[in-house]
Amino acid sequence: MDLETVRKRAGPREFGPADDMPERYRTAATRMIQFHANSEVMGGYLDKTFTRKAPSLDRKLANTAKVQDEIGHAQLLYRAAETLGVKTRAEMLEELANGDGKFLNCFHYPVDSWYEAPMIDFFVDGGAMRRQATLKSTSWTPYAHAMDKICFEEGFHVKHGESILRELMNGSKATQERTQETFDEWWPRILQFFGPTNDESVHDDFGRAVGLKTVTNDELRNSFLNMYIPKAEKHGLEIPEYPRIYERDDGTMAVREDDLDWDEFRTISRNEYEGSHEQIGSRRRRQEAVDWVRKSLDSWESSAGTTPRAAD
Amino acid sequence: MIWEVFRQEAPGDYHEHVGNVHAPDREMAKLFARIQHARRMQTNSLWVTPREEIGEVSAEDAAFDGRTDKSYRWAMTYNEIDASFAEEVADSESEQREAARKRREALRDEGNEA
Ligand SMILES: [Fe+2]
Ligand SMILES: [Fe+2]
Repeated sequence: MDLETVRKRAGPREFGPADDMPERYRTAATRMIQFHANSEVMGGYLDKTFTRKAPSLDRKLANTAKVQDEIGHAQLLYRAAETLGVKTRAEMLEELANGDGKFLNCFHYPVDSWYEAPMIDFFVDGGAMRRQATLKSTSWTPYAHAMDKICFEEGFHVKHGESILRELMNGSKATQERTQETFDEWWPRILQFFGPTNDESVHDDFGRAVGLKTVTNDELRNSFLNMYIPKAEKHGLEIPEYPRIYERDDGTMAVREDDLDWDEFRTISRNEYEGSHEQIGSRRRRQEAVDWVRKSLDSWESSAGTTPRAAD
Repeated sequence: MIWEVFRQEAPGDYHEHVGNVHAPDREMAKLFARIQHARRMQTNSLWVTPREEIGEVSAEDAAFDGRTDKSYRWAMTYNEIDASFAEEVADSESEQREAARKRREALRDEGNEA
């Protein structure tokens, strides 16, 4: 299929492994899904810190269930990415380990307190879910199918995240203050989750032209602000004065770009932030620690093989 | 040998199991699958796979995964939280509620049989 045909046919769940897709489509889709899969892994690893920090058994159980979900999401997405025939799962995991794999900005900041749990589980998962819901209509069918299952599960993450926020904001004065301080720290990162305003990058334009993406980051940011600011306020959080958020003439919400630290953001997107090294390194060491499991599965697979009954 | 047949109605849909055919090889299986399952039914794609290649988890094995109380991993558990502010959160919750309802019914039916 040539690019012209792809552009013309582009629509929800329009293409699949049976279609002969042009190189540029397959590369762009692989980049996007691999980024998404990597983010699920890194988000899961970040989140697992909270199991130890959680104040009650219920919260610990819920957190382990969430982490298990996230790692499952990564597996679904690596499979969806593999269907494009560009990279194997092993290659993508290797890239993540050696620092070449890219992932969401928010997962480059190591966490160490329970107050950070709702920042990730409510706001970051909430933002991610906004985006994921739109990806149910992506043009690469295996990606859309992965979204069906992921979105089914994510509602629990967001509600549980909000439940933690609510609990903290109903706690003692000191707890409320700590939560507010943590929110102040995370809020700019959460806003940067959607990338720079008007960042209609080359990847973005192409992604939309061939139906991989259906909405812009700007639209996502706007709807996120409309939904999540009232939620934060409802629980008694104050939205920091900076970065300034304003309403544009068309009634949509935006962020004053200059109030955000884009140098840090770019350092992060190159995996060169201090936290990037820490997060990538700690996951790589765990991957290495269970290398023997992977090896034994591989040797088992090559010795057992699949039963060669379908000879034809 | 027996080949299981999966039909996808339109691009983007899931391939769903629609039945099986007898055939000596893959090519014949595809031919018979077309005749049996795609002649009238709207079809975008068909898959055939030898029955022996399918691994099955029995109802009994599958049900085991829902025996202990895992309410902490369902969206409905957090009912002090209103999900209606975001369509996708509300959708997820109603899908989970539906899944949990089916699960409960299956367990109850089983209880009645015993
Ligand atoms: Fe996820
Ligand atoms: Fe999640």
